[in-house]
Order: sequence, then C-alpha cells, then structure tokens
Amino acid sequence: MKDEVRIIERKDIPKGAIMLFGFPDVGLVGVIAASHLIQELGLEEVAYMDSPLLPPIIVLHEGLPHSPVRIFGNHNILLAVSETALPAELIHPVMHTLIDWGRSKGVKMMISISGIPVPDRQDLEELKVFAAASNVETLKMAQEKGVEILREGYMVGPQAVMLQYCATLGLPALTLLAQCFFQYPDPEAAAKALEQLGSVAGIKVDVSKLLEKGEEIRLKARDMMKRTQQELAKMRKTQEYDIPLYIT
Amino acid sequence: MEETPRRRRSIFDIIDEYFESLEAWAERFSEALLEKPSWNCRTCTIEPLRDILVTSDEVIVTVDLPGAEESTIQIKPVGKDTIEISAKMRRKVSFDDFGITHYRGEFQKFHCRTRIPVPVYMDRMEVRFKRGLLEVRLPRKHEYEIPVE
Repeated sequence: MKDEVRIIERKDIPKGAIMLFGFPDVGLVGVIAASHLIQELGLEEVAYMDSPLLPPIIVLHEGLPHSPVRIFGNHNILLAVSETALPAELIHPVMHTLIDWGRSKGVKMMISISGIPVPDRQDLEELKVFAAASNVETLKMAQEKGVEILREGYMVGPQAVMLQYCATLGLPALTLLAQCFFQYPDPEAAAKALEQLGSVAGIKVDVSKLLEKGEEIRLKARDMMKRTQQELAKMRKTQEYDIPLYIT
Repeated sequence: MEETPRRRRSIFDIIDEYFESLEAWAERFSEALLEKPSWNCRTCTIEPLRDILVTSDEVIVTVDLPGAEESTIQIKPVGKDTIEISAKMRRKVSFDDFGITHYRGEFQKFHCRTRIPVPVYMDRMEVRFKRGLLEVRLPRKHEYEIPVE
C-alpha cells in the first residue's frame, strides 16, 4: 500500500529541518496548531501527497485544487498537515510515506502535535501537555525542557504510527499531547501545545490570536470535527482511556 | 506464470461473504442517509456539535455553542425522550466569514434536537454553561429494580 502513496515536491526542500505533523484527531489540536503555525510563520506549500488510496477529495483555495494532505515549510521547518480526516486504514501508508520522505531530506527530528482527551476538560483551568518519544534520548530532552512524560497507556492514531515507525528506523521523534476535549475543537489546547513546541524545539509563535479567535475557530471547525469523530470511532480512539494490562 | 491453486469455497463462506458485503453496503447507505449540511439557510441556524454520556444515575448532554448569548439558551423537552436546544449567537455569521462565496446566507442561531437514549426525569434537569459549552444533566428514571438473590 505504501508504494501507492507519493510525495510531489513543488519547491526546494531544506535539509536537516524539523518536521512537524498536524493531523485531524481529538479536539483537532494538531490541525488548529498547524494552521496557526502556517499563518504566523508564513509557511509556504512545498510538497503534497498524491495517492489513489486517498478519498477522492480536493481542497479548493482561490479556485485551484490542492491535495488534502500537504507539506508546508520554510528554511528550517517542514509541516505535514491534513485538511480531511484520514480514514483509519490509510494512517499507516500515509505516515510511513511521510516519514520515509522526511528521512530522505535529512530531517533531524519529527514532532507530532496532538491532544489527549480528558473527561473533565470543561473544568480544567490549566491544561497540561504530555510527551512520548521514539527513544530515550528524545524523551530525556523533552523532560529536561519541562514536559511531563506520558508514562503508561495506549496511543491511537497517526502519532502512534509515527512513534513506532521512527523507533524502528532509529529516528528521534516526539509527540506532544495537550489535554483537550475529545469531541469538540479545542483552540486553547492547540495554544498550549504550541507553547511547549516553543520550549522543546525553539519554534516560538505568539498564540494570543489563537486564543482571541477561539470561538470563531470552534465554529469553523465543526464540520471537520464531525468527520474526524467518525474516523476516530472506526480506529477505536477511546482505547486511549483504557488501563493497559502490562506485559513486562 | 505459476497459477495459484484455487481453494474450493463452501456455501457457508459464500453466504458469510454475501452478508458481510450486505452489512458494509447498509452501513454506507445509512451513513449517507444521515448526512446533511450542518447549517440551514432557511431557518438561519447552525447545528452545533453535541455528545451524550449515559452514566449509572444520569444522562449528560453537552453541546458546543461557541459565541452563544447565555441568556438566550433554551432547552425544551419534546415528548418523553427528546430535547430541543437553541441559542442566539452574540453576532451573526455569514458564509463570507468562512471565506465561502458560492453560498449565500447568514446565521444567527444554534439549533439541534437530541434523543435521550434511556428514560429520564425531564423536570429535574440541571443546566450549566461554561466556556461556550452547554451541559444538561438529566437524572435517570429507574422504573424497576431486579433484586439480586
């Protein structure tokens, strides 16, 4: 299946960049954060994904077609983002292709931005961000930067595939997970994840606009959240709430 | 080219496959049937995202109402098992605000109906609205209890 997914480059791709991932998931944390990064850092589309496996969808911007899975970037950042909820069965080939591509560009670290759902989110005043990594060194680096480690539990979705595949390839990878709503778009959680991204990767952006426009973003993101919920149900995302039976 | 030997399928395999494909078709059909826009230009309403949680003693309905005017929120029971929720927005939004120019319309209200999956006391509803999220708690009606011997 992986052979049927390809990345088409539109611009020169920097070597040795940090590669970020913002995919539709709980609270749409990754997508909201990615959209804010693109705006604040003025990232440009540098590549896109083409595959007969993707749903027959294009995203129109100014009347022109774009792939729903695109890579934005500048001289030191690459950011893969999807504007449509990925069907559960496509997560493996899509993530593997993106990681292989990033590896061929000498990416020095992969970081996915996402959320971890908490049932009492509405009552949380201060949101925590947790991290999990593909190797001990990266985990230690995140810990030293003040990020709490997600020690035990299940992870479901693109970031799970990313961590596992990067661990297999020996690539440093980190997943940042901000506490968030499961089924509602959560710009506050996206802002929190971006703050941590600043401290772990030095990619600093002002999140004040994200917080100011929170209600507008929640209203705009309803349809994407609804589609994402359907895919999350198919990939059994609620398993993240499960208490694992550890096999040591 | 070497030909792979063809496995003889039993009638049960064929029936299983038939039912699997029928189920997949029914799933796709019901999904397509339930799909509709999340907005209605005629009534100027937007359908909010919502969720239902059934616990041992209550049903919790949450509805995301970003930008809703708290004083205008209305929750009306419709029959025994449905509630209808509406709220006015603090400011109107149009398709233009979303960058969409091929539809015309303005929205000034959230509106949705939600079916409650188990019997509840509608008259003992508790409501709170925090950070644009409405939470409706309905105590469950346990009509009879089965004694454990």
